[in-house]
Amino acid sequence: MENNTKKHEGDLHETQHISSYKQHFSTLVALLLLTVVTVAISVFGANLRTLSVATALLIATVKVIVVAYYFMHLKYDHKLYTWLIMIVGLLFVVFTALTSIEYFNR
Amino acid sequence: MEHASGFVLPNSGHNRDAEASKMGMWLFLFTEILLFGGLFIVYMVYRMINSEAFLLSSFELNVTMGTINTVVLLVSSMTIAMSITAIQKGNTRLSVNLLFLTLAAALIFMIIKYFEWSAKIHHGLFPGMEYYENLPKGEGLFFYLYFFMTGLHALHIIIGAIIIAVVIYRTKKGLITPERYTLTENAGLYWHLVDLIWIYLFPLFYLIH
Repeated sequence: MENNTKKHEGDLHETQHISSYKQHFSTLVALLLLTVVTVAISVFGANLRTLSVATALLIATVKVIVVAYYFMHLKYDHKLYTWLIMIVGLLFVVFTALTSIEYFNR
Repeated sequence: MEHASGFVLPNSGHNRDAEASKMGMWLFLFTEILLFGGLFIVYMVYRMINSEAFLLSSFELNVTMGTINTVVLLVSSMTIAMSITAIQKGNTRLSVNLLFLTLAAALIFMIIKYFEWSAKIHHGLFPGMEYYENLPKGEGLFFYLYFFMTGLHALHIIIGAIIIAVVIYRTKKGLITPERYTLTENAGLYWHLVDLIWIYLFPLFYLIH
């Protein structure tokens, strides 16, 4: 395409995807709904103790993925970023798992 | 661009690389994730050892204030994301206004945090205070971790606010333009990370009981 020629080598902005205001607003609404759910479970479901720990962390993880995917623009970035983040996440999960295994085998 | 001496580097003014700057920012964010990750593991282990004490202590925290701060941070994440959209579309003025909104959110967060911390300190729950020293060991640990982790997070809010202020200044001076807005993007990434950490801190300290 003609209009794809860049001024400089490093000028990647011109070909970048622009997220719409509407999309950002929808993302916020989704995040607020998830917050309402997680607070509601904690306040009204206090007797489901183990369940509430698991669901709270699960909902938090969903929120983190939504923020990273839309607000942090990962959806439209090079896939390399997603892979790197997954490696860092895996590293954390491995550390956590090893620590737990050590703890439970005392 | 011309140097006073007349000497000009072969690629003067052409050596910026938006993609590499972004990658650099992400690599820095990874170190931040692992910093807080280590603290989360410490929290997990102490919680397993003192589950009853942690449960009891978590009722001391104010869920309403924590929820308000969660909403404030989520909204500020949206405003800074929109600010990037605005500068990409060439609307510099809107971009600056949205950055000011983000800054206002940071201020609201810190004010609420101030009231929360003051209430806890008023009750003598800060490590080193007399009441704190007489708490059962597990409850002491909970408040130690609470102050350390939310304190480190609050420090990140302050640093983020300073970075946003710099972005506002540079946008107003015309140093950040619709063609060149890497700093706005990187400030956004940092701010989102601060939000991400709070998304985990909030349920772990305030909600899990």
